[in-house]
Amino acid sequence: MNLSLLFAIMRVAGSPCADIGTLLLRRRRIMGKYVLEVKNLEKYYGQNKVLDKVDLSVRKGEIYGLIGANGSGKSTLMNILFGNSVIAATGGYSGDVLFEGEKVKLRSTTEAIGRGIGMIYQEFMLIPEMTVAENIKLTRENTKGILGKVLSPELCFVDRKKDNEDAAGVLEQLGFEIDNSYLVKNISVNAKQFVEIAREVNKGDLKLLLLDEPTAVLGDEDAGKLMKVLKELAEKGTSVIFCTHRLHEICQVCDHVTVLRDGQVVSDYGRDELDMRTLARDMIGYDVAAVKKEHQNREEKEILKFEDFSVYMPGEFLDGLNLQVYEGEILGLTSLSGHGKLAVGYGVMGQFPVKGEFLYGGAGVDVKNVRKTIENGLFLLPDDRKNMGLLLEHSVRDNIVFSGFYGRNLFQKKAAGIFPVRDRKEMERCVEEQMEKLEIKCESAGQKVKELSGGNQQKVCIARAVLVAPKVLFVMEPTRGVDIGAKEKILNSLVQINREQGTTVVVASSELEELKRISDRIAVFCEGKLSRILPPDATDEEFAFAFTGEEGKDGR
Amino acid sequence: MMKKVRKDELIVPATFIVFSILCFILSGISFLFLAEQVALRFIRNIILVLALIFPIMAGMGLNFAVVIGTMITQACFIIVLNFNIMGGKGAALVLLVSLAAAAGVGYVIGRLLNKVRGREMVTSIVVGFLANYIYQLIFVAGFGTVIHVFNKKLVLSTGIGVKNMVDLKTFKQVFDNLGVFSIGKAKISVLLLAMIIVCGFFVYYLMHTPLGQKIKAVGMSEEKAANIGIDTDRVRIIVIVLSTVFAALGQFVYLQNIGSLNVYTEHLDTEKFACAALLAGGASIRKAGVKNAFIGVVLLHTLFVLSPLAGRNAFANASLGEYFRSFVAYGIIAFALVVNLRLEQKGEK
Repeated sequence: MNLSLLFAIMRVAGSPCADIGTLLLRRRRIMGKYVLEVKNLEKYYGQNKVLDKVDLSVRKGEIYGLIGANGSGKSTLMNILFGNSVIAATGGYSGDVLFEGEKVKLRSTTEAIGRGIGMIYQEFMLIPEMTVAENIKLTRENTKGILGKVLSPELCFVDRKKDNEDAAGVLEQLGFEIDNSYLVKNISVNAKQFVEIAREVNKGDLKLLLLDEPTAVLGDEDAGKLMKVLKELAEKGTSVIFCTHRLHEICQVCDHVTVLRDGQVVSDYGRDELDMRTLARDMIGYDVAAVKKEHQNREEKEILKFEDFSVYMPGEFLDGLNLQVYEGEILGLTSLSGHGKLAVGYGVMGQFPVKGEFLYGGAGVDVKNVRKTIENGLFLLPDDRKNMGLLLEHSVRDNIVFSGFYGRNLFQKKAAGIFPVRDRKEMERCVEEQMEKLEIKCESAGQKVKELSGGNQQKVCIARAVLVAPKVLFVMEPTRGVDIGAKEKILNSLVQINREQGTTVVVASSELEELKRISDRIAVFCEGKLSRILPPDATDEEFAFAFTGEEGKDGR
Repeated sequence: MMKKVRKDELIVPATFIVFSILCFILSGISFLFLAEQVALRFIRNIILVLALIFPIMAGMGLNFAVVIGTMITQACFIIVLNFNIMGGKGAALVLLVSLAAAAGVGYVIGRLLNKVRGREMVTSIVVGFLANYIYQLIFVAGFGTVIHVFNKKLVLSTGIGVKNMVDLKTFKQVFDNLGVFSIGKAKISVLLLAMIIVCGFFVYYLMHTPLGQKIKAVGMSEEKAANIGIDTDRVRIIVIVLSTVFAALGQFVYLQNIGSLNVYTEHLDTEKFACAALLAGGASIRKAGVKNAFIGVVLLHTLFVLSPLAGRNAFANASLGEYFRSFVAYGIIAFALVVNLRLEQKGEK
């Protein structure tokens, strides 16, 4: 009989043995050998000490949680463990890494994979121009043909049919449905995450799996699926190191949790000592105050109107939306992932083919003319920051002023009274102001955005939107992949934009709790259709019904 | 979405076809003559064009260093002739030595290009220039001084330096004896044609192997490929080795078909024509396939054969024809590049 399953049943049944069961389970896992031991690890980036005397020990079949705010050194630690070439290129590290009791110094990811280590990245390591199946089977393709008997498998014909079957099999195992033949560039962000997970799970000899914020881009529902997969993997003896901001997930699955802050291990907890509040405090170093918008009474003046608006976005389909957005409100859009909340903003900004009418201030808008749309005062912050929202190779300063300068002709002065040129002083002043206000952590305004952590990158996006001062701001998943501290800053600035500049904000997010805090109304989508519009103080039950589209679909 | 992209890719080849038909009507030559001319040039050029596909797939752009492969083959011909090894034995020796040497040189170029990531195209051009001067130095000044001359027919009357023109009939006959078929007046060795077909199939096949998948992955994103666990340095070196070997083989087929070697000028500009042909076939500097190579070579050479004749007939002036050819051909190459660039930008969105 599967012990853990038994215990799980006991726990659900509320049996008094449950606690003993959990304890026993822990004992059993503790008996496993250490797969990975990290001793006295230190790492510098230039003069910056990013890891300081870090010690970790991960046992076989254990789910090991690693939490820390943005920039706490989690990603660096992961990169060291996975032999990423970035580490060697920036001067290597000191300290020991023992894998299966043997001291190793991984120089390349190829070497790490050879030893049975897998990694799931925060930013996707998927080849956009390849299909889902090709990505999952990349470097482990099935081959066919008689040539395999003489040549190395690398030179045999790829058996695409078998690859497709394998990929479909592993996706089904994950409980995620997507057509194998889609190119990865055309699928939604959460679908990409599942493809990436599928690739790792498909490796037969996986001994240690590293996950860097795998659930950051997933909705609660999909994150739950992933948790299930991780548990199954651990049962089979794969150890998992799991980095995340989402504390409830840590508490849900991890056997052991280490909290990192500013490169140091600040605390270490076993399974039964886990408490979300303690973890949060350890992680940030102070208690976080939650943002809450006061709801003011406004007259309902319509600014946007969707009439039978459909968006054909792969993985996120919006079907015949009828919705009015009122001037000066914060409208939350939410749905389970893939059910349409993201498609609204992308449709308005002409990123995908649309059908139906979209009216702005009573006049029809040609969504294909994106420049015009932006000039008219609409602006969008996309969810895929790295690919769509930021100029990664450019400085923080450039990113903050970019849309204002090029889209809205701000920061211009007349040289010799005639020629418009950049007003560097004004730019500098605005950038400084925003950096201070949003507490963007970076060396200087000249630092490249790609060197910033996820939360700070998102703050840069927000700062840019603030400077553009749009009439209507669409924000997609603003707090995805961002730690609690930065999250509050971001939510706060959204409320501020709304209150101080009178901007109408449309926020699409899978984080219902956050939407409830900042929105005036929340539109819930289900299967691409508007299910219900609820006030933020509606009960969880009402929201649950709306999510599943169960009860009277009003407005239809 | 997919279908739309494919339609876009057809713009360049379609333009070539339209111009070719126009020129064909203007030139007033028979279809047989056109077919024979194009077939000849096709045989001579195709493998060199195929050589460019691997580096493009691996994201290294157009590999202008293929010219080095062609020089290696030429050098091998001269050296084998110098040792007075004639006929089939000689041809086989040239083939073996040149391919082996090309693989070695390809490895070195590959290592070099790994050090200049992101600037592969420019580097390959410069490396090509450098190799050209080393090659000239060897055959202009080295022969008869450092290198002992066994075959007096090769060198100039002064005893130093290889002649401008070297006769390769002794090798050509071997291939011609093994079977020839003709299109019009053009005679094409069956063996050479077989080699071309094998090469084309080889490229296609390789792109459908796990190695091919790795090459594609490296080409689309090196950083991601490395993180997935692909040894990108190794893949890039393999790609350049293959490219150089193909270039050497391509030049072998080319010279076999012509039967003579213009020692100092034969290899010049070959790489540029190969690149132009590939672009004409609808490839871009980021995406290319066997199909693009075959279509491109036929289209480019059709236009090259037709445009001077068309120009001459249209303007009733023989010298104008030459200019007309250059104008049409290079104009369309420029057009191809611009269209490619635009499509790429579109694709990135």
